[in-house]
Amino acid sequence: MEFWTTSIGLSKMRPMPGALADGYENYVRGAIEAERLGFDGYGSGEHHFMYDEFIPLPLQALAAAAAVTSRVRLSTNAMLLPLYDPMEAAEIAATLDVLSKGRVSLGLGMGYRPYEFDGFGTAKRTRGARLREAMEVLRLATSQETFSYDGEHYRYENESLFPRPVQRPIDMWFCGGTSLQGARRAGRAGLSYWLANSPFDHTKRIVAEYRRAGREAGFADSQLRVASFKDVCIGNTMEAAEGLRKVLMESFYDEHILGYGYLVDEDGRNVYDPSKQHPLYRRFVESLYCGTIEMVVEELKRYEELGVEMVFLPSQQRELIAKEILPEFRK
Amino acid sequence: MRIGLSWDVDRFESANTGWEEIVAEAQAADRMGFQSFWIREGREAATDCSAPSIFLTYLSQKTKSAQLRIGARRVTRALPAHIAEEVAVLDTFARGRAGLAFAPASRQGVPPGHVHEMIEFVTAAWAADEIRYRGEFLRFPSHTPDTAPRGVSTPEAEGAYLPQWEWGPETPDFLSITPKPYFARTPVNVEIDDDETLEWAARAGVSPMVGAELPTNEAAERLARYRSLADAAGRSRCEVEAVLERRIVLDGAGDERTLGGSPQDVLNAIRALRGRTAISHFVWRRDRATPMDLYRFASEVQLLLQA
Repeated sequence: MEFWTTSIGLSKMRPMPGALADGYENYVRGAIEAERLGFDGYGSGEHHFMYDEFIPLPLQALAAAAAVTSRVRLSTNAMLLPLYDPMEAAEIAATLDVLSKGRVSLGLGMGYRPYEFDGFGTAKRTRGARLREAMEVLRLATSQETFSYDGEHYRYENESLFPRPVQRPIDMWFCGGTSLQGARRAGRAGLSYWLANSPFDHTKRIVAEYRRAGREAGFADSQLRVASFKDVCIGNTMEAAEGLRKVLMESFYDEHILGYGYLVDEDGRNVYDPSKQHPLYRRFVESLYCGTIEMVVEELKRYEELGVEMVFLPSQQRELIAKEILPEFRK
Repeated sequence: MRIGLSWDVDRFESANTGWEEIVAEAQAADRMGFQSFWIREGREAATDCSAPSIFLTYLSQKTKSAQLRIGARRVTRALPAHIAEEVAVLDTFARGRAGLAFAPASRQGVPPGHVHEMIEFVTAAWAADEIRYRGEFLRFPSHTPDTAPRGVSTPEAEGAYLPQWEWGPETPDFLSITPKPYFARTPVNVEIDDDETLEWAARAGVSPMVGAELPTNEAAERLARYRSLADAAGRSRCEVEAVLERRIVLDGAGDERTLGGSPQDVLNAIRALRGRTAISHFVWRRDRATPMDLYRFASEVQLLLQA
């Protein structure tokens, strides 16, 4: 199983005010550190028009990371593909793929914040269809010399991608959240599936549904790759670990969940300002796994046994994870 | 006068090897004191770079001093907010070294007004907080009504303050592009191959650029005409940066688009062009030149231009 990670710095954080340019430097240093510590990948997310100056273009942050590393994969987690012209996205990805010598992995999501869609002139209700079509355009553009595509939202005729990426096609993951609907959608299309944070039992259900849908659609198990975000909070005691989780929720996740509709119900609707007793909120809190080193190793082994080939771990406790967790998977 | 470098990429066999040469040359040139590197947007050859902001952000970690300019940016594929964002992100990674130059409308197959609106939009997006924009070609956010004032508008000073995390599913009428560039005034140029753009840029105080594609005489005429119109419009020479790009052959023959001869001949030619056009930034488009040429230019031409 591979372990990918990231660093803070690509936005301003209310609990830790600081200069954005210093944060960007911290992010670049984090890439060097992640590679030195033995992580397999390094990522960047995406949001737009944010008061905290959240990085809007993850592949650009990864271009800075590419310049100071030579081994780690460079992943978007997630790039909000419906907010791009697909060929624009392909060009950006291909350019970075050349510069990084084939290390780009695209984690591609559909986005959920209404003002982001409005800023780019994309109807939010079309985001699912746009994501699927755009991923097909990316696949064609990065694997063929010339291609044509005639979809509901995108049309290209005799189009060629310059520069040509090193990876043909480029590595792509469908970041489909944690809904059964998303899992089925990814499985039916044979897309590699990257789950959001989720407790193990729910992850198991989602993975089973994804594989069932994929097999029914005629895809081989080897084509149905699974990855997962997995925030872990490690402490010498459960109390210490849960204390870390509380800080993580209050300093980062609560604003996204309560303010921006981050959680999605089974019908795909965003849930705004849920109570902290809401089942979706409780499930999210539980998905941030708390435990001692031994417990975290055991939890991640369950993911490995499930066939999850990559977990994306948080930036906090990175050194501890590298020293105590990663070696257990390298034996 | 600032001296910069840009590169012809179609001489390379592949982007994989050719771009490595550019990075190595930029690192050497950064140490020699060249002041700007320009990566041009292109889609005609397999070695072209269609996403210069990615290349330059990579270069921001490989160089220390030179400005990093996105060249020949087109308005047809990238969405307006992305163009404003990519420059701001580059500027933050490079701590204030970013710049942007747009390709002429005629080379993009769009009306000149489309390019003009894009320049108005990105400069406003960097300078102001929440904005909206209503133009013939651009609208931001997309639900901006026909009743909004033409061009850039900002919210009324009065009105309820609602923090972003309380917006819920509603989209406000004004949005802020973030992050903002590191410096308050990021350089923006436009190639003035089209008369309409030349006249608009001169009146609006937008910096002109002439690329290596135009013959030197025509380039000089266009830059001189720009300056004359800008003077007539009461624009100060200090508020813009006129950029001229040329190919150079040291110790070889020049032609209508290429400056040639000894280093002294090249020095004299650039001085003469500066006197005729009021350029303040000269960019050497590198094609068949060698590393030794770079060193000779830095020591025998660049320094003496200031003398």
